[in-house]
Amino acid sequence: MREATSARVAHMLREKGFNAFVLVGGFAAWRKAGQATEPVPRDDLVKLPTFT
Amino acid sequence: MHDFLSLIAHHGYAVVFVVVLAEAVGLPVPAAIALLAAGAAVASGALRAPVLLLVAVIGMLIGDSLLFVLGRYMGWSLLGWLCKLSANPENCIMRSAESFYKRGKLTLVIAKFIPGVNTMAPPLAGSMLMRPMLFFQLDLAGATLYAVAYASLGFLFRDFLVAITRGFQTAGRAVEMVLLIGLLGYIIYRIRLYRKHSVYRIVPRVQVEELARKLASEDESHPLLVDVRSHGYYDPNAARIKGSIRVEPNNLAEEIKNLPKDKDIYVYCT
Repeated sequence: MREATSARVAHMLREKGFNAFVLVGGFAAWRKAGQATEPVPRDDLVKLPTFT
Repeated sequence: MHDFLSLIAHHGYAVVFVVVLAEAVGLPVPAAIALLAAGAAVASGALRAPVLLLVAVIGMLIGDSLLFVLGRYMGWSLLGWLCKLSANPENCIMRSAESFYKRGKLTLVIAKFIPGVNTMAPPLAGSMLMRPMLFFQLDLAGATLYAVAYASLGFLFRDFLVAITRGFQTAGRAVEMVLLIGLLGYIIYRIRLYRKHSVYRIVPRVQVEELARKLASEDESHPLLVDVRSHGYYDPNAARIKGSIRVEPNNLAEEIKNLPKDKDIYVYCT
């Protein structure tokens, strides 16, 4: 199912009283339409363990 | 199975090489059955054990090394692509990574015996910047263990394998029944999955153009954009919709405490 995660999260948000919507096609559709994006801030990146 | 055994007997090394290579790069082919059949062929004298093991290990190493290199350079986007066929790509990646961390480097030695992890382990090792020589050593150990284990079983239980193939021929209807039950089980699983997700269909959806218009409008109630992708945040070159914030979908109970209730929230994933 497309938008599985966003639909699940939006559904939970609506159950908690938030006015949530799902963006059709997600980030891929947004980027494909040529809309504005930005690099993820370094502080938001998740540090995974590495083998180095 | 019987056809497969005779195929192995006639084109042994080539079939084993192609099948183990295909499985290593993620194609759904039965490498374990090919090795079992090849082991039986060794017992009957049709194949030679050292050549069989060499061919099988080289096939696996080539496939695994390809995914390792791709994982190193493509990062999490490759893992996302490999997980695309699953019902929930976000969870597929997280599950595979978690299983890898739990067992550490030795995952590579036993990965081939674990469904789901076997294909993901080499690109994960690449994404996590494992040294190529270390990867090669561990993968060589894993490939050798896998080839020896299944070929030995085929060698030892050759008579049993032959009996099974005869059984397949005489009990064709039973096999058909098993396949039919398996197919029904799969259909029921897909229906349950569909019904589970159908509850989410009531959530209103917006198209890209509509959201872009809302963002560009002068309206003071500026909407909030929420990014709920997981793996998008492991890649140093990751991008997101301008002005959005990240919410970790697996920690939603905590994360929603910081979200405003007086704004429209637009949620997006991959």
